[in-house]
Amino acid sequence: MSACFFAAAAKEQSRVLANNAQPERGAKKADASSDDGEKRFEANCGRCHNAPENLSPREARAVVRHMRVRARLTAEDEKLILQYLAP
Amino acid sequence: MRYRWLYVVILILASSWAVRAQSDVPIISGGAGFLNSNDGGSNSFQPVITPVVVIPLGDHWLIESRTDLRGFIGRQDGTSGPYQGQFFGTLEYLQVDYNVNSALTVTAGRFLTPFGIFNERLTPIWINRFQDGPYIGTIGTAGGYSDGVMARGGWDSGNGYSINYTAYASTLSTVNKLESERSAGGRFGIFFPKSRLEVGTSYQKSLQAARGNSEGMDVSWDPYRAPLDVKGEWAHSASGYGYWIEAAYRLSQYHGSTSAIGRLEPVIRMEQFHRSMSIAGDSLPGSSERRPDFGVNYYLAHEVRLHASYGRQFNNQLNSNIWEFGVTYRFLFPAWPGGK
Repeated sequence: MSACFFAAAAKEQSRVLANNAQPERGAKKADASSDDGEKRFEANCGRCHNAPENLSPREARAVVRHMRVRARLTAEDEKLILQYLAP
Repeated sequence: MRYRWLYVVILILASSWAVRAQSDVPIISGGAGFLNSNDGGSNSFQPVITPVVVIPLGDHWLIESRTDLRGFIGRQDGTSGPYQGQFFGTLEYLQVDYNVNSALTVTAGRFLTPFGIFNERLTPIWINRFQDGPYIGTIGTAGGYSDGVMARGGWDSGNGYSINYTAYASTLSTVNKLESERSAGGRFGIFFPKSRLEVGTSYQKSLQAARGNSEGMDVSWDPYRAPLDVKGEWAHSASGYGYWIEAAYRLSQYHGSTSAIGRLEPVIRMEQFHRSMSIAGDSLPGSSERRPDFGVNYYLAHEVRLHASYGRQFNNQLNSNIWEFGVTYRFLFPAWPGGK
C-alpha cells in the first residue's frame, strides 16, 4: 500500500518536474529558431540592408511576405526569418 | 428561414475575413531623401520619396507596388541662371504574386526586370550606397521595368549551397507610365551560405527592333569575419560592355555598430563602360567612360543615413568631378492602426 503510494507520488513528482522543464526546453528551441532566423536573415536580407527597427508581429508578417518574393526565400527561410523579426 | 442560412454564411465569411484582415495587415514602406549633386559645376537638388505598398491576401497572394516620386531642381543653363524645378513620377512595379509552393512564385503585372543584381536589389535610395546607379545598370533591363509574367524562387539543397532563379516574358507597352519592351530572359544564381558568396548569371533577349541579346554576370560576397560587403557586375550588349565593383566596410568592429565610429561606412566603387555601337535610347553613356567613386555613409538612429561622396568621371571628351551629398530615411508603418 505504502509502496504503491510512494510510487504514485514519485510519478506525480516526475510529471511536475517534466512540466516545469518544458518551458526551458521550449525556450531553448525558440532561441535556436531565432538563431537560425538571424542566420537566414543575415544570409538573405542582411547582404543588402539592415533589419527594420521596432517591427510589430503583424508588420513583420507583411514584410517577410514581401521579402519572400523579392529575395526568393524558401518557405523555411520565411518561417525562420519571421520568428527572428517578431519572436 | 431560407434567408436565415444565408445570413449565417455571410456572418461566418465576414468574421473569417475580419480575422484574416487583422493578421495580414497591408504595410506602407519605402524611402525618402534629399539629394544634392554637383557634376562638373552643374549643381542640382532632388527631393525623393519612393513609397512601397504591400497587401497580403491570404496565405498565397500578395499585391505590391513601388512608385518613385522626385523633383529635380537645377540651374536653367546647367551651371548658370536661376534654379528651376521639374517633377517626375514613375510606377516602378505593380505586381500580383502567387506563392505556388516553397520554390516557386508566379508574378504578373509590372515588375523590375530581373537582370543582374543592381536593378532588383539595390535601386531603393536607402539601400544604394551611392546616389547614382552604375553605367551598365541599364544593360539587359529594358529600361528597368517590364510588363508581363515572371516565375521566381529559391531552393536550398541542404548540402552547403542554394540556388535561386527568375524567368520572365514581357510585352511591348506604350501606355503612359507603363512603358515596357517586348523581351524575355532571366537570372540564375547559386549561393554558398558558409562563405556568404553568391554568383549569378543573367540573359535577356530583346524581341523587338534590333532583337539583340544581353548577357551578365554578378557576384556578391559578405564574409562572416568582417563587416565587409563586396558586390559587382559585368554586362554585355550590342551597345557595349562594362563592369562595376563596389566594396563597403562598416566600422562596427570599433565599439559596436551603434557607437560614433561604428556607424561609419566607407565605400568605394569602380566602374567602366566601353561603347561598341551607338544605339539611340539605350540609356548608356554616349562614349566609353570610367569612374571611381569614394564615399562615406553615416547610419544615424531611426533609419536615417547621411551620405557624401566624390567621384571622377573620365571620358574622351571632358573629365569632371562629381560631388554628392544626401540624407535618406527608411520608413515602414501599417496601412491602418491596430493591435500588435
